[in-house]
Amino acid sequence: MAQSTQSEYVTLVSCDGFEFIIPRSAACISGTIRRMLDPSSNFSEAVTGRCVLNDMTCVIDREWIRTTRSGVLVTRFTDVGSFAFFSAVVLEKVCEYFCYNEKHKDQANVPDMDVPAELCLELLMAADYLDT
Amino acid sequence: MLDTHVGNRANRRPARNIRGPRSALTDFLASNNISAAQIRDDYDRWVSQAQNQAVEEESANLVEHEEPEPEPEPEPESPEDKTKKRKRQQAIEKIKKSKEFSRRKARCTGEPDDDDDIIANEIMNEKQRPNPGQLENCELCGKRFTVTAYSKAGPNGGLLCADCSKKHTDGGKKAPAKKRNSGIGRRQKQSNLLDGLAPHGAQSLLEMCIKKVADHIGDVEEFGDLPPSLLHRLGQILSKRRAVNPQTLDLFLGAQYQSIDLYDCARLDTDDYNKILASMPALSRLNLRFVTPWKDSVFQYMIDRDMNITDLHLDSPNLVTDACWRELFMRLGSRLQSLKLWNLDSAFDDETAEVMCKHCTGLRRLKLKYLWKIGNKALEGISSMTSLEHLSLHLMQDTDTEPLLQIITELGPKLRSLSLEEFEFADDRLLQHIHDHCHNLSKLRLTQNAVYTDKALANLFRGWSNQALTYVDIHAVRDVDMSNPAGPPEPVGLASDAFIALMEHSGLKIKTLNIQSCRHVSYAALEEVFAEQKRYPELQYLDLSFVGAVDDYLAQCIFRCCPALARLVVFGCFKIRDICVPKGVAVIGTVSAKVTVDGIVQQETV
Repeated sequence: MAQSTQSEYVTLVSCDGFEFIIPRSAACISGTIRRMLDPSSNFSEAVTGRCVLNDMTCVIDREWIRTTRSGVLVTRFTDVGSFAFFSAVVLEKVCEYFCYNEKHKDQANVPDMDVPAELCLELLMAADYLDT
Repeated sequence: MLDTHVGNRANRRPARNIRGPRSALTDFLASNNISAAQIRDDYDRWVSQAQNQAVEEESANLVEHEEPEPEPEPEPESPEDKTKKRKRQQAIEKIKKSKEFSRRKARCTGEPDDDDDIIANEIMNEKQRPNPGQLENCELCGKRFTVTAYSKAGPNGGLLCADCSKKHTDGGKKAPAKKRNSGIGRRQKQSNLLDGLAPHGAQSLLEMCIKKVADHIGDVEEFGDLPPSLLHRLGQILSKRRAVNPQTLDLFLGAQYQSIDLYDCARLDTDDYNKILASMPALSRLNLRFVTPWKDSVFQYMIDRDMNITDLHLDSPNLVTDACWRELFMRLGSRLQSLKLWNLDSAFDDETAEVMCKHCTGLRRLKLKYLWKIGNKALEGISSMTSLEHLSLHLMQDTDTEPLLQIITELGPKLRSLSLEEFEFADDRLLQHIHDHCHNLSKLRLTQNAVYTDKALANLFRGWSNQALTYVDIHAVRDVDMSNPAGPPEPVGLASDAFIALMEHSGLKIKTLNIQSCRHVSYAALEEVFAEQKRYPELQYLDLSFVGAVDDYLAQCIFRCCPALARLVVFGCFKIRDICVPKGVAVIGTVSAKVTVDGIVQQETV
């Protein structure tokens, strides 16, 4: 049932409420997001289509929400403070990276994406968490 | 005299009707019915007209000049100017044919064609410039200055004073930087290739951010709660850039961390080492390289504090005395689980080694490389360290085979990795002992030896009860005889038979294989090992440098047999002339060969 109802886009929501809608394939570059979205994992994201990670909210395609309404919420993440880095500014950059990665998927000698110096430490933590 | 009038006309103008003393020239002109006053008035009128014109033009162009130029400017409308214009046009045509023009044009390629005129005009203006040594007003600030060869042209073709020149070049330098085309440069590509990176697609966000952080390490005040794995990677990058100094060191210190890995400490001083120990009380893993200023006092501090160091990896702590080493081993040796020392030439002798062997009873990992003062006696001592699971030795003294045999007999059954480098006199008995006693090895390195025979090496791998090896390095194990390049009839070193036996034994699990310089491996053997139906699913790194038989065909066979291959090193394989490299494989060391990656011919590597 999963594959047929999965929409092409997913929505990532930052801790301050900004939504970023990006292609599912791009978002799945992140190991963490990929595992979240994996229907077989039976995580809350996959069951309810919505996961609340204290500061990071990840709303998965609405199509998916409509089809599975079991309403089971699994809290996987217990440490509260460590996701504060997903502000809109950081998440925007992360999404930019997802698209940049998707764009250069099969190319050799890809130019580096521009990462602003003031963001790089926060982004580093985010990248470590997202497993990208 | 007339010149004087002209030059001082501004002062003279109000006093025009007052007759001063007449000069001889004025008298002469008057006698010839020429009025100096008439000439002067005509000239003044003409100048003021020209000035008005200039002011009008300038106000139209919104260009500010602090004072109108005293020299007359050519008027575009007057008939003489038409000839001037034509002459200028001719000059520009001439310039366009000149070498200088084509050179400049080449520099600004990629811009639209109407640049021709701009460039020609530029050259023209430069030619009309005052020569060095002359005085000129700066085009921007209007200041009077002496023209030099370094004076820059301003935006309107005039010259700039020294200060404005500087500011102007700063602006000018930034402009060409933008012109860089996308993608990374050739040098960077080659550098990545030598690092074994032939990435497809973008690098990970993590790696990108770590590099960026390393770029701006001077601006970072603290890392916050960075996970140890990232800290380790940052340490690696900063070490590679030689950027570990007392300031950046602070970022790696934290009471919560249990380990510190810095691969280049050349810029740190004795105090910094003390600081590391003082600020990291929970430290258990200490991995520092190039620690020349490491002195007895640092170890003394460690001993006094009774620190719980389990992993001690130090490269070149040459100021530490033997007495201190011994005390360290006696006091803290029993806690050590892993000890790695490199490059010790003034201390650490056989006796110290004996103390180490006696007291480091829990040691599982021992690496001693480039230690100059230990030899046979130390080897005998090591054979008593029965807790060892990983042993790596590269001594500088000549040693006998017997102590090595003893080590293998005593430790062999437990050993998981064994590295014996440059034991030049070790012979086939060692190989036989490894075959008989080692059953748990996953990493084996036997290098720089010209005594092992091909037959003995083949016997090592044939019928060996050991599991398949994942890491094999048997480089430079070959016969060296200048007068007989083909080698003796009974092959010495790793040759065809041993290579086939090795790959039969370990082919399924092997990840890293280095048989560099084993030049007696034949074409037929390579062809057999990399035959069509053979697969080495795990092999990622293969070094075949100076294995002369490798050619284009064999290279393609290798790519076919090793689906996981990431790096193929082929220095000195001159028969490789034209190869198609699969995606994601870094081929290093080809010389003037045509390398095609994914259908695109790559630029020359070397």
